[in-house]
Order: sequence, then structure tokens, then C-alpha cells
Amino acid sequence: MKSTFSRSLSKKKVMSTDGMVIGTIRNIMVDLDSGQVDSLVVRPDAGFDATGYTVDGDRLMIPFEAVRDIRDYIVVDRYLSKQ
Amino acid sequence: MKTQVTELFGMEVYTEKAIRVGIVDDAILNVDSKKIDFLAVSELNPELIQLKGFKGIKIPYRIIRSIGDIIIIRHFSNMFPAKDAD
Repeated sequence: MKSTFSRSLSKKKVMSTDGMVIGTIRNIMVDLDSGQVDSLVVRPDAGFDATGYTVDGDRLMIPFEAVRDIRDYIVVDRYLSKQ
Repeated sequence: MKTQVTELFGMEVYTEKAIRVGIVDDAILNVDSKKIDFLAVSELNPELIQLKGFKGIKIPYRIIRSIGDIIIIRHFSNMFPAKDAD
């Protein structure tokens, strides 16, 4: 996967590399000066154990480095996403 | 400064010569380089660009000068031939 429309990501599910569905993507944080994509804002599914993840209110922040691939799901590295 | 990508949608795009280009419809992200590659701009200024069968254009992120309430991109003299002929 090389590039993707950011609107096509909305409402996609985020899955960890251990096969667990984390939740649904809500937004993407970007740095407008450098154009760098910083992180994904994810709404965790009910009952998801968010220990180890960066939590902001009821949202999880997952660094974009953790993103492995984007197709039907957004697959994130289970270790890199907990930073 | 970190911003939500959805805040870009609907922003007006102007060149640095204060010519309106259009409004931002979408951002095209490169998953490998983790960067914004292009902004998809639609509702184009008909005096600048007339497209047949297409809704908008992709503006490379590197030609963006600054982003605030609006987006200012670099102005190329050969970019908009209709305007320069005036």
C-alpha cells in the first residue's frame, strides 16, 4: 500500500498485529508544517483493555509509525502502538 | 503543531498572488513515508482551470507555503495559462 485518501480511512476498523480489533478510527493527527502524519485517533471498542496505550479522554492515540498496512483494516504493530 | 486532518477539509486554497484555486476536499496520505503527499482540491476557480470529466486536482504538499485560516500555495506562471494571458 503506497498512498490512500484520508477520507477513505474514516470509520475503518483498527486491528493490532495480534489479531485483536482495537476500535474505529475517528481522526488523524498531522503536522502541517512538515506534512508528517503523526498519529491515529481511535475510539476503542467497548470492553477493550487500553492499558499501555496513550489515552486522551475516551480516545486512543496510536503513533503512525505503528501502521503496518491499510486495506480492509488498519493493521498496527502491537508493540509500536503502545508508546 | 499537531492538527486534526479533518480541519483541512473545506479550507480555501489561494496562490501567493491571491488567486483562488478551490477548496480542500481530501488529503492523500503516503503510508510508507508517513507524510501527506497531496491535497485533493475541488470546486475549482473556473477562471483558472476547467476540467472535463474530473471533479478536482491534486496539489503536491511541497508547493504549500503556509496553512492558517486558508491555505496559500506557490504561484507558477505556467500553472494557470488563462490568467497569465490577461
